[in-house]
Amino acid sequence: MLLAHGKLLPDSARPQVLSRLREEIDATLAQKRLSPDLVVDALAALGDRVRAGEFDDLLSRYLPPGVTAGELLPLLSREFWEEKLRAELGEDPFAPKEQAETVTHRLPLGVLLHIAAGNQPGLPVYSALEGLLTGNINLLKLPHGDKGLSLAALSLLCQTQPALADFLYAFDLPSSHTQELQTLAGLADGVVTWGSDAAILAARQLAGPNCKLMEWGHRLSFAYLSGEDFPEEDLAALAEHILSTGGRLCSSCQIIYLDTADRAFMETFCEGFAPILGGMARRFESTRALSSLYGHTALLERVVTGKALGEKLFRDHGCSLIACEDPQLELSPMEGNVFVKCLPREQLLPVLRARKEYLQTAALLCPPRDRALLTDLLARAGVTRITRPGHMSAAFPGEAHDGEYPLARYTKLVDIER
Amino acid sequence: MLSRQRLFWMGRPYDLPRSDAAFLRACRDNAAYHIAHCPDYAAICDHFSFRPEDLKTMDDLARIPVLPTLFFKRHALFSMPEWRMAMKVTSSGTSGSFSRIGFDWGCILAEVPMVLRLGFAHHLVSPVPSNCVVLGYKPDRDNHTGVTRTMFGLTFFSPPLRRFYALRRENGAYVPDLDGVAKALEQCARSPFPTRIVGFPSYLWFGLKRMEELGLQVQLRPRSRIILAGGWKQHADAEVDKNVLYALARKVLGIPPDHVNELFGAVEHPIFYNACERHQFHVPIYGRILIRDPATLEPLPMGQVGLIDLISPLMTATPTLSVMTDDLGWLSPGEECSCGRKSPVLHILGRVGAAGITTCAAGASELLGQGEAF
Repeated sequence: MLLAHGKLLPDSARPQVLSRLREEIDATLAQKRLSPDLVVDALAALGDRVRAGEFDDLLSRYLPPGVTAGELLPLLSREFWEEKLRAELGEDPFAPKEQAETVTHRLPLGVLLHIAAGNQPGLPVYSALEGLLTGNINLLKLPHGDKGLSLAALSLLCQTQPALADFLYAFDLPSSHTQELQTLAGLADGVVTWGSDAAILAARQLAGPNCKLMEWGHRLSFAYLSGEDFPEEDLAALAEHILSTGGRLCSSCQIIYLDTADRAFMETFCEGFAPILGGMARRFESTRALSSLYGHTALLERVVTGKALGEKLFRDHGCSLIACEDPQLELSPMEGNVFVKCLPREQLLPVLRARKEYLQTAALLCPPRDRALLTDLLARAGVTRITRPGHMSAAFPGEAHDGEYPLARYTKLVDIER
Repeated sequence: MLSRQRLFWMGRPYDLPRSDAAFLRACRDNAAYHIAHCPDYAAICDHFSFRPEDLKTMDDLARIPVLPTLFFKRHALFSMPEWRMAMKVTSSGTSGSFSRIGFDWGCILAEVPMVLRLGFAHHLVSPVPSNCVVLGYKPDRDNHTGVTRTMFGLTFFSPPLRRFYALRRENGAYVPDLDGVAKALEQCARSPFPTRIVGFPSYLWFGLKRMEELGLQVQLRPRSRIILAGGWKQHADAEVDKNVLYALARKVLGIPPDHVNELFGAVEHPIFYNACERHQFHVPIYGRILIRDPATLEPLPMGQVGLIDLISPLMTATPTLSVMTDDLGWLSPGEECSCGRKSPVLHILGRVGAAGITTCAAGASELLGQGEAF
């Protein structure tokens, strides 16, 4: 299926839609303009209908197990998008700005090609909404495995506000159809990619040398603990975060770094933290078997690669803490199995810089007197979010996305001499 | 590796106590072989301080280091060079990644008596030629999955007259042809010979539903059978109760429930598990099953739910002596089943964790085998 002109069409219509796309895009760019208010109104209206239960059947069919419509509702609220516009582009973002001799206008970038990985339900729609809010024409390559949620949501949006129809095209296009993807990329002023390194590299192959790349890659996050002892409620909050996210999110804690070079201190910390993690795991019984399976598999992998030598394992109720010798930032075995490593603050910057392209969130737990210094050090190393231990994956109003405001990137500034 | 052949050529396939000594001996030899020929396996045994001579009683089987199927998906382990193997087979890889498992010639030699003995015991073997409808993949040069080979092999229990495949490769992708299946079954009903339907239970369900929709009902010849293998896999959300499935098979095809054979096995543990007349999977002498505690991986007593550890000394090309699937299950005493077989019964409850785990942590999708380009 594909979406064009607000209508769902069979894949067989794709060649025809693609052949006319340039002409249609040119006509839309020449004649139409999308105001953010129109988009926000449409989203809010759709949100009201979802809240009223009108689409419960549809959502139960398309949403993956464990995801409820309630989790999507914040994305369908007026407040969310208005706050986002204000935070990222300032008050009255599209008003012309008077300069000494010119007037600066903020305009849409033009045409965005969104390549969204299928790792989060609703992600392709979210990406398209960011593009719509900034007035762009959006071409979506839907991820393999999108069972129809994106197409259903986008077509409903076009029904709610028919003016959006000319600004939205979605294609259920396999990654192997490079010719058609290149056609889409050739029409775009910018390519927005979400996904793994492989997905990002593949998208770079598609985009021409002058096409703007907006890449939201996968990231790694960690906790940094400094001091002699740590408040139990903070450790419990960290344990809850580790188990509730399963290490699967960009912002999930993969490693607990300790501001020390003393391995004995690290082992004492593990002895104390393992029961807290295990105790919390009793509240997440459904993932216990998965924790053990992942933990055991990762252990075998470290045994065959020789990494297990010199490390110490602390197990509790299916979870494990792996006290390592090296300080490198890496992916944990996930599902309640995390690494614990020594990283004295003097070595923090070089160690983190070695994986700078993956850095995202650091949860900082330290005495108040060190907070400003360590926050600054983490930011200098390349971390883009610094939170309290339990809030690593929390959403904060007005926060940037991996160090940038997407809406600013999806627009351009045009200077006009008076 | 004579101890292995001795085990697999033994009679009385459900008399576990009689085979215990032979099983233990074969496991000892198998572990020693892998330790000597696979450095990675030797490192694992060393890490867990396991030595083959530690296997003195059946309880000691729990001490064999258990390798999750997930581990084989991330690491290919072999204990012999490829030229000495009979074949290399992959798991079906429904989650995007697959295990690569080597089969040695001795393993194939040992499987023949096992499959024949159990084939006779479960009425699979018949001299009467039959029409075969395979609700699975058509074998293909590019398809190395174990389930495709198994289904093809299953068509030989009676002389196959012809084979119709429900999943056929078109432009590099497999497409189901349910209407073709319905038509083929109609033709089979007119044939003087019985029909054998071999395949995934999910496709049997979809096929039967499609026939019901089309208002088709046939009466296949009396000796016709349905042989189910491969689980529900990517159609887990459509899984239906066995009784509902069998009732529909009787209604649409005229095949009674006692002519439905269910099989279970894994590429990493290719033991020929057959469900009995009561549709229960008794453990045959060629394997042993332990249920391990989801929190500690320690063995659990009979009746408790945990991770399934499958043990068999069948393979020497890949160290699959003790493998753990990502299924949860439990064992019950064989005596509780009225079929008369005394060996324990394995109950499979399904996969651990939700299907289609989603992630945006760097490197995680590759680790979980979701390495799709985008």
